[in-house]
Amino acid sequence: MRVTKGLASLALGALVALAVTGDADAQDKKKIYLSLSYSGNSWQSEAANIVKALAKTPPYNDTVELIEVISGTDPQAQISDYESMIANGADGIISFPISSTALNRTIKRGCEQGVLFFMYDATVTEPCAYNISYITSGFGENTAQALVNELGGKGKIFLSRGVPGNSVDERHTNGAKHIFDQYPGIEVVSEYYSYWDDRTTQQETAKALAAHPDVDGIWAQAGEYGAIEALRQANPDRLIPITGENSNGLRLALANPEDQAKGLKGVSAGSPPAQSGYAFKLMMEILDGKRELKPMNIQYPLPWVPADAVKVCEGDTFENGCNVFPEGKVPSSFVTEVFNPELLPELSLVSALEGEPTPGATIQPLAADVVVAAPNEPGINCQRCEPPADLYKLTKIEPTVKP
Amino acid sequence: MSLEQDMDTSAGVDTRAASRFGSEAITIAVIFGLTIVLILGSRFISPAFGGWGQTETILFLSSFLVFCSFGQGLVILVRGLDLSIASMITLGGVLTTTWLAGSNEGLWYVVPAILVVSAAIGSISGFGVTMLRIPPFIMTLAMGIIIYSLCLGYTQGTPRGYPAPALADLMRAHFLGVPAPVILLLVFVAIAVVLQSWTVLGRRLYAVGNNPIAAHVSGLSTNKLTIGAYAISAMCAGFTGIALAAYANGATLRMGDDYLLPSIAAVVVGGSSILGGKGNFLGTVGGAILLTTLGTILAALGIEQGWKTIIEGAVILVALIILRESVYEAIRVWMGRSSTG
Repeated sequence: MRVTKGLASLALGALVALAVTGDADAQDKKKIYLSLSYSGNSWQSEAANIVKALAKTPPYNDTVELIEVISGTDPQAQISDYESMIANGADGIISFPISSTALNRTIKRGCEQGVLFFMYDATVTEPCAYNISYITSGFGENTAQALVNELGGKGKIFLSRGVPGNSVDERHTNGAKHIFDQYPGIEVVSEYYSYWDDRTTQQETAKALAAHPDVDGIWAQAGEYGAIEALRQANPDRLIPITGENSNGLRLALANPEDQAKGLKGVSAGSPPAQSGYAFKLMMEILDGKRELKPMNIQYPLPWVPADAVKVCEGDTFENGCNVFPEGKVPSSFVTEVFNPELLPELSLVSALEGEPTPGATIQPLAADVVVAAPNEPGINCQRCEPPADLYKLTKIEPTVKP
Repeated sequence: MSLEQDMDTSAGVDTRAASRFGSEAITIAVIFGLTIVLILGSRFISPAFGGWGQTETILFLSSFLVFCSFGQGLVILVRGLDLSIASMITLGGVLTTTWLAGSNEGLWYVVPAILVVSAAIGSISGFGVTMLRIPPFIMTLAMGIIIYSLCLGYTQGTPRGYPAPALADLMRAHFLGVPAPVILLLVFVAIAVVLQSWTVLGRRLYAVGNNPIAAHVSGLSTNKLTIGAYAISAMCAGFTGIALAAYANGATLRMGDDYLLPSIAAVVVGGSSILGGKGNFLGTVGGAILLTTLGTILAALGIEQGWKTIIEGAVILVALIILRESVYEAIRVWMGRSSTG
């Protein structure tokens, strides 16, 4: 196992190396590698836990040998980890790719040796790998339109972005700006990088609030709960419309009458950790010979929960249309979209939080026609390709105000 | 201290302390002056700036950096470096949310317990540096990795729980119109200044940093003092973690990452020598506030991330160049001449 520069990967690598050793009884099992970028935020842990839980759910507990490898944040480390997985005779690699282009050559080599590659959430442009992602589903433009609607087409807003230089952040922000640019009344007064982290979002939002206490709305990527905390800090009596991703904290606040009375409105959408589980099940169905999968780029539907659709769950999974857990059951930064009653009925909280299977659950086959192909997006899921003309078409919301 | 200076002073009178005090006072004055100029000047960037509201935000945001920079400063004072600060902050935050689990019950013993655990871990680092002679860089880096991994394993990647509501309320409370965290900052600074500059412990730490051999020969237990500095540093980082968890109403495993390098920068910008033996905590406080002010203003300017980081780096460099000893000496000599001649 190659030791990499990153602090986390150094330590985690050691842990993983320990975990990997000593199990040779599984000759007939399918050898699947789970290759993560970084473990340390709720989203990454939940996504990995889902795959681990599914691999322990019957019948996969007898047919799958799952090996987890964490590569840190350096593409070079992931490249060499992929190389070792291919050399060790992997049947499949399910992975959160660190770069959309740097891994291509290694992936191609792996494909030629018959390894299946399934990427979740983040994507690669190598055509022989499957990309299972919500990225093309229009998070940026749909949430931007929702914010514009709430603001009546005019007002000062903040953009709380992700990681600088990241293709996902750019795709979201370009989609959002495509909408905001149509409304001359919308003024982006501050745009900052929050690294998809609650606490960074909170501090950056606090700084922006110091300069613009009269801001009217916030468009945020993951970490949005930090923006709410920053607003509460600056003025306990005033909240403003916020659109963000799937944190438990945002959803609870959206549905809270007290917070609504202070001015909080908005929508919760964005990146679901459940993508990893969907990718894993698709991969296993191919390996078990139960599915032929033609499109390589597969779209995961965009979660979309406006305030009036928030429903608190009584149990440990999404049942009867609920989509958020009561305070105290999970932390505010918990990403709620780990569940999907249609695609992943096998999962419950214990799967997302601890990577353990739901007692009594067995793997349910995916519907035959479940797969939705994703549109081409250059640099995201294809090289040298043309994006569709209606790339930023709104799918979840209609404009209620004219530009 | 230049040769001419020594010859200028009349024989038999030791003016070194006075001269050091003089240059430290100038450093502190320059840093705070610069900060005030920045805050007032930022009015041109945003009309909401330059007032008490912005100052409040800056003091508030810089308080976390001040807390952990105090410990970092003590470790640097005794010729060390603490790279475990980020992990210790995370540990403080994770323990705050998991041990308290969103209830006020047990607050009175959980907070001290976290500080004790942190101090114990810091002592281990100090033990490695002194007794095992492991370079501080390696020792604290390794300790940081171990602590981070323990946090990761303990939380399984998702830190659970909430801080006590009382802690979260404290971060939002106001006393006489002043936010409680700002008062907390002032109290912390007062205690830290007294500890570093006015107590026997503080003076001994200076002695160890100035010349460990001389300190040892004069009968000081340099090892114990050094271990103490690491323990205090870890405790300050743990405290920062508690405050951050209360502020953010939760913990994340990345919560300490933004403080490691700034804590070193604040100490150095504040006029302390990275080689140890010299420095004043008020300078560090000024450094921390200056860096935070800069961050706030750059954020408001809305310039691109790359340029933001370049400007931050450039300001640290310029501050270091301006705040050099030789520059003060030149000013002192010049002022001495103009007043006498």
